[in-house]
Amino acid sequence: MIELKNIEKYYANKGVKSYILRHVTTSIKQGEFVSIMGPSGAGKSTLLNILGMLEEPTYGEYHFMGEDVTAMKERQRIELYRNHIGFVFQAYHLIDEMTVAENIEAPLLYKKIPGSERKSRIADVLDRFNMVAKKDLFPNQLSGGQQQLVGIARALVAQPSIILADEPTGNLQSTQAEQIMDLFKKLNQEEGITILQVTHSEKNAQYGNRILTIEDGVIKEDISVEKQM
Amino acid sequence: MFKLNLKIALRNLWKNKGYTFINVIGLSIGMASCILIFLFIRYQLSFDESIKNENRIYRFVTEWKYDAFDDYSNAVAIPAVKTAKNEIVGIEKAAAIFRKWHIIRVKDATGKDLVKKDETVYYVEPDFFEIFGMQWLYAKPTTALNEPNTVVLSETAAKHYFGNSQNAIGKNVTMGNKTLLKVSGVFKDIPKNSSFPLNIMVSYQTYPEKDDECWDCVSSGNEFYILLKDGLKAKDIETSLAQFNKKNYADRKVAGNQNNKLEALRDIHFSEHYDNFSNLTISKTQIYGLGIIALFLIITACINFVNLSTAQAINRAKEVGVRKVMGSLRKQLIVQFLTETFLVTLAAMLIACVLAELAIPQMENLFKGTISVGLFQHPIIFVFMLCLVMFVGFLAGFYPAIIMSGFTPVLAIKSKIKLNNGGLSLRRILVVVQFSIAIILIISTIVVMRQMEYLQQKQLGFNANEVMMISLPNDSLNRLKHENFKDRLLKIPGVNKVSYCQDAPLSPNINSSDFTFNGIKNKDFEVRRMKADEDYFSLFDLKLIAGKLFAKNDTANGYVVNETFLKKVHINNPQDAIGKLINSTGQNIPIIGVIKDFNDLSLKDNISGLTISAGKNNYWRAAIKLDTKHLFSADKKIEQLWNSLFPDQIYYSSFVNESINSQYETEKIMGILFKVFAGVIVFISFIGLFGLMAFVATQRTKEMAIRKVLGATTFELVKMLNGSFLLMVFIANLVAWPIAYLIVSEWLKGFAYRMELSVWPFILAMCITMIITLLTVSIRSYKAAVANTIDALKYE
Repeated sequence: MIELKNIEKYYANKGVKSYILRHVTTSIKQGEFVSIMGPSGAGKSTLLNILGMLEEPTYGEYHFMGEDVTAMKERQRIELYRNHIGFVFQAYHLIDEMTVAENIEAPLLYKKIPGSERKSRIADVLDRFNMVAKKDLFPNQLSGGQQQLVGIARALVAQPSIILADEPTGNLQSTQAEQIMDLFKKLNQEEGITILQVTHSEKNAQYGNRILTIEDGVIKEDISVEKQM
Repeated sequence: MFKLNLKIALRNLWKNKGYTFINVIGLSIGMASCILIFLFIRYQLSFDESIKNENRIYRFVTEWKYDAFDDYSNAVAIPAVKTAKNEIVGIEKAAAIFRKWHIIRVKDATGKDLVKKDETVYYVEPDFFEIFGMQWLYAKPTTALNEPNTVVLSETAAKHYFGNSQNAIGKNVTMGNKTLLKVSGVFKDIPKNSSFPLNIMVSYQTYPEKDDECWDCVSSGNEFYILLKDGLKAKDIETSLAQFNKKNYADRKVAGNQNNKLEALRDIHFSEHYDNFSNLTISKTQIYGLGIIALFLIITACINFVNLSTAQAINRAKEVGVRKVMGSLRKQLIVQFLTETFLVTLAAMLIACVLAELAIPQMENLFKGTISVGLFQHPIIFVFMLCLVMFVGFLAGFYPAIIMSGFTPVLAIKSKIKLNNGGLSLRRILVVVQFSIAIILIISTIVVMRQMEYLQQKQLGFNANEVMMISLPNDSLNRLKHENFKDRLLKIPGVNKVSYCQDAPLSPNINSSDFTFNGIKNKDFEVRRMKADEDYFSLFDLKLIAGKLFAKNDTANGYVVNETFLKKVHINNPQDAIGKLINSTGQNIPIIGVIKDFNDLSLKDNISGLTISAGKNNYWRAAIKLDTKHLFSADKKIEQLWNSLFPDQIYYSSFVNESINSQYETEKIMGILFKVFAGVIVFISFIGLFGLMAFVATQRTKEMAIRKVLGATTFELVKMLNGSFLLMVFIANLVAWPIAYLIVSEWLKGFAYRMELSVWPFILAMCITMIITLLTVSIRSYKAAVANTIDALKYE
């Protein structure tokens, strides 16, 4: 599903190149649950941003579902956002002025899904996440864990093939974090959604089936997680 | 999608209530002013509109070119009326319309006056109705004024005289004392926005002087209109007109290169040289000036909007980022932000309509009811409002929408968006532009007000305090009573002096003529001829500097001239002028005295060269100097006396100083308009500044807290926050000064007498803006500086 070949990213500052990523080559298959780990400043988030096409690599090739991303036009990229990629953020990033239901509805609007189907999908997702009662609340009326659930619901409602999550539990207490990670795992196993998360926590990484460790912009380790849980 | 956008927009506006309030208030006040200006301009442009053949209707006007001055008149010489029709090719119809004033009476069967009123009467040729497509209630347009001694009335006049317009037909009215006129038609009232305030039109055949043959006598009420043949324009008959001019003026050796020209009907209202019957001209420059002020107003209000929106953009950055990764196109974001702007603009427009509606009566008042405007007067007004909303919506919304939709999602999501920190940001430039406009208007207002003060305080060279002018009937019969009247006036307690004259020393009613000086024809200027009796000089306190004044006499046997006259005929020593002969009436009359100059025209004009002489037949006014203490009682007694002596006539009185002041009515109105609009622009600018300051203060809360922890005092913090704003306003002053200087010095050039343009209005404007800025921003920055440090720091 994802092919990275020799991805490099650096910033040139006064003639000095400061590398963020070097020679990153890897591939991620459909249905994998990959955790990207590493110390602060190693380049995890940059890698995720590149995968999410929010940043462009300085060099290298990136194929998403067989298509060359670097050659894509803005419109094609937006089409990918609409149909294949869902984002989950550490700080949830719900739109404050929208209610829970409206936040979930937003991506469907961009996908131009007809009203009746939108309603049924939203109802479906709310139901699944046990949030029917909260659908008319605004984000600031929810706890962090609940907000992140809405964030995930919003990513899911458009039925993406991959979810990119940047420290999804970074702002949450451990019980809430566990709940979120369980959800990810369930989505991965039951619905076959590819999940890519950046995390600091060993424990969270164990939920997935593969761990990429990055240090100083280079992939240090690429291991499979034993299914011991 | 649109519905959701709308909902989000409303929630967003509600969340930032303060900024929304500032935006809406600023915009609606600006828009209301714009609507008012538009209504006014539209009303002015609508003068004489929708006359069927308006493109083919022209007015004959007359101009003179002397070596040293040009003169213009809206009228023609009487013989030109007949001759033009015969000699100029291409005229389909032509009609004279002469304005006079008469007393009009309606009598009952016994001969008692039912109505007696001083009226403006127009002598009109029948073709006039066809040229202008007059609308009749009762009459046959072609025959209405064919006969002598017929009159047509407007609906209002007919009702006034006969109670009902239908009754009027066939009835008689008396003009003056004996001329009987038969009513042969009633026409629909002429709208207010017309250069022809016609109520009573008498057939031209009735006009006693219609066969006058004087080609160089042009009396200001004698207008002449032509309708060109279908398809012709003014330039098509130019050659024919030139021939006409040559034959009738040049070949007849009429003085001053007298010439007739054509003026298009729709130009009459905007004519700068030529007056008209309605006395309501407005120059195109004034209209453009107002248009520019309207544009200024809108730009100022839009700048507020742009500044506050871009300042707030950071708060919306996250939303932009999230929406983008959800698959929103930039275009969709732009549409979303524009929706918000249009919502605000629409709300502002609704409030603006209410404000405008409230302000319309004040505006009509300001123009003393000479205009009538309304929001629902014409469909074009709604088109204008719609355009205004579109224009403002795009002007104010487009730039912020482009900026905000352009955020890159990564930076936006991580709240790393920084908006032009330091440098010459657009926001700063806009503030400078906004304040430059405000300062230009402040300076202009100060200058206009000071000039008006100057005009009011200027010594005019005569003393008209407590001098009342009353009408003086001057037909051969009433003239016999003049002696008696004067004697009896002087016996009334409180009456100090009485003089018979044509008018006050300063008056726009000019009688002027070419002349020979000591036998040599003068080609430089026309001499203004004033007629007054021997008491005129002492009554108005005119100072004699050489020779003597004339003694009591019925006709002119000696001229008193002013210094300007001497200067114009190049005599330096007043003594040398005594005994020189002036001939402006066909008679050589010597100069017997020279008086000090006084302002004989409004202070917009220079003093004319003039002669004063006796002339019993031309005294139309009596000037009466009253005692301050008996002002009111004397006034009443004078009127009683007058009515007993001249029972057939209508009494009229006015104080000289009041009429002099009324000459600056336009300037006074302009002063008020400037004050109001400058006030509005300053207000809009400062609430914008306040909003911006509030935003900057919030932005820098954390920085301020840290500085405070590091030991900064409140004063230092306030100074830091205020600094950049004061600098911007200071720069705006520097930008505004030269522009303002150009504008006001150009305006002052319109006055022959003007105040010295000093640096003070400029300094004053700077002080005003700097002080208000300091106050405005300090309110907010002080609040920010004394805010609780801990709150700011624990926030993150």
